[in-house]
Amino acid sequence: MKELNTALVVTLLLGLLVQCSTTPLDRDLSHLPYTPEPYEVKVPEGFPRLEVPEDNPITKAGVALGQKLFFDPILSADSTMSCVNCHLPYFALTDVEATSVGIDGLRGRRSSMSLLNVAFYNTGLFWDGRSPSLEAQALEPVEDTLELHHKWVDLVPQLREHAEYPALFRAAFGIQNTAEINKELAAKAIAQFERVQISDGRAKFDRVMQGEATFTPDEAAGYDMFFDVTNEFPDAECGHCHNVPLFTTNEYFNNGITAAATPEDFPDPGLGGVTGNPYDMGKFRAPSLRNITLTAPYMHDGRFKTLSEVLDHYNQGGQTSANVSPLIRPLKLSEVEKRQIIAFLHTLTDRKFVNHRR
Amino acid sequence: MRKLLYLLPLSLLFFVTACGDDDVQAEETAEVNLNFKATYDGDDFYTENIYKLFEGVDDTDIKFSTFDFFIGNVSLIKNVGEEFEETELLEIDFVSLSFDPGQAAQAEAGVTIQGRKVPAGTYDGIKIGFGVPADLNRTSPSEYGSGDVLSKTSHYWSGWDSYIFAKLEGLADHNGNGVFETSGVEEGFTYHMGTDETFTERTIFQTITLEVDEERTVNLNLDVRKLFRMTLSEYDQDDNDLLDVEDFPGTHTDAELQINKTMMNNFSDAVSLQE
Ligand code: HEC
Ligand code: HEC
Repeated sequence: MKELNTALVVTLLLGLLVQCSTTPLDRDLSHLPYTPEPYEVKVPEGFPRLEVPEDNPITKAGVALGQKLFFDPILSADSTMSCVNCHLPYFALTDVEATSVGIDGLRGRRSSMSLLNVAFYNTGLFWDGRSPSLEAQALEPVEDTLELHHKWVDLVPQLREHAEYPALFRAAFGIQNTAEINKELAAKAIAQFERVQISDGRAKFDRVMQGEATFTPDEAAGYDMFFDVTNEFPDAECGHCHNVPLFTTNEYFNNGITAAATPEDFPDPGLGGVTGNPYDMGKFRAPSLRNITLTAPYMHDGRFKTLSEVLDHYNQGGQTSANVSPLIRPLKLSEVEKRQIIAFLHTLTDRKFVNHRR
Repeated sequence: MRKLLYLLPLSLLFFVTACGDDDVQAEETAEVNLNFKATYDGDDFYTENIYKLFEGVDDTDIKFSTFDFFIGNVSLIKNVGEEFEETELLEIDFVSLSFDPGQAAQAEAGVTIQGRKVPAGTYDGIKIGFGVPADLNRTSPSEYGSGDVLSKTSHYWSGWDSYIFAKLEGLADHNGNGVFETSGVEEGFTYHMGTDETFTERTIFQTITLEVDEERTVNLNLDVRKLFRMTLSEYDQDDNDLLDVEDFPGTHTDAELQINKTMMNNFSDAVSLQE
């Protein structure tokens, strides 16, 4: 008898609970519009082909939802911070701190990265390549204790109950019910938004290559050294790791910024921390140099404040360290020549992208 | 009538293609794979491993960080009368043998590349091109999707209007202090090879008999030390028929283009067929 009573109470309570949760968390959406339209992505001439995963085609509604999520502090535990705080659009989508600070004021060990052209970084994301795709990557910052420090299990109900998100998820993915909103769909939308952040191909460098502009003598000299075009100037070797059109080859190198006698001596193991291979310690993905003038400070830990410091580093042949790339060597550049290379780097700035981002 | 005349060549074409198709289906084929491994003067080749530059001649310690190359126009050859008949195995592929000791299993397995199915039978040898064949070398990475070997921007040099056919990079302890240095001293060498004129072909004669439905792996070895052979005395200041690595550590200046050509050419000598 007692047992029956308890069972009854439990059932009643459960019923109540379910009822409460049906209202916002389990709402039918099938009456709302779902008319997916492909998003027209403009890829500049000479850029690599844009590859889009078959299960996440880019649509206008998907990009719109991704953009809203990317900018929305709802993604952080205390609703103070979103992706954009560390990937600022006006700084080619990176923050200006040496290493990024999350919602708890805790500093990460690495510097934020520019998300411009991120769709083309196809050898692994992050400085150490640990994330295979934008869809997988987008799940991480939300739960990273040094970043948004939220939990998807708490965030997903917030999205399901939200006044606007259910309709946006419906428009983007054709879901029938708010209960179908999950972290995978949120990540897919963010990935779509990130995938369309592409240079407009109108940086001065691009216009010079297209015959629509000319380099100043300093820029031309810098270009020559960067790509070792003629024997008139010293070879600065940059182009081998920062090659056209993205100004990266997406490869991993130790570019000699840290003195390390053995692979164990690197404070941040980089690629080695992901592969477990001691010979990969201290290797990081060579980043794109497009818009590099806007993304100081530099390197994975933001150790160099200016491009001038970066050039001093390369000019001396970096620091002696295990598995350093042989392309790092004393370059014997004069002060003028270093300035000329920096002048050339300024031609990679895509002002239009920076100023007119939607 | 005129219409009919137009149709005639078309229908002929139809017959020709139809016959071709039949042929392939009826043919009894075998599959041929190529396996590549590398040695340095006979020892297993690993990047980051220390070797003597030219043992017995110049005992400077060296270690490599990169060794890779394109292969193109690979075919089996058959002696028919005065001529050779070629059966194409593959048009283009890329082989990276940059395995460090942490990747020993991969180094031991080598790099295996799948060739096309070819008719079973007896062949007299195999022809391998090192580099990117001229017709493909007119293209550039942006024309290819990321899965394609020709999409590698790391292996294209706009200044040459050419793919980089091969890379051999490393460090040599020229000052003998036991440390491979980049800071302040020049110990690196970076040989990048390329341009149409350096495309190198080698034909290895050996009877290869392929049974029907057989999957055969042809094992090839490259001895990296052989790439350093220099017949041009200006780049061989010690007069030992070997490249002076300390004085000529790169292949970028015009003068060094000779080194680029010679090294590419040396692939024909460095490659050998293994049992
Ligand atoms: C607290 C600052 C911070 C926040 C918030 C943040 N990021 Fe990042 N982001 C970083 C840092 C730092 C890195 C580099 C980390 C590493 O390599 O370990 C990075 C790297 C990335 C990358 C890799 C880029 C590349 O080139 O490999 C992507 C993509 C990215 N973030 C997207 C996002 C998205 C989407 C959000 C929101 C869901 C977000 N980030 C929120 C700091 C932040
Ligand atoms: C051996 C390959 C290599 C060469 C050569 C090279 N770089 Fe880099 N570069 C890298 C790598 C790898 C990183 C990232 C390293 C890190 O953060 O640990 C990098 C980072 C940078 C950064 C900082 C990017 C950022 O977002 O923080 C700049 C600027 C830069 N390189 C400019 C140059 C210039 C200019 C040259 C020629 C003088 C050059 N690099 C030559 C591999 C190379």
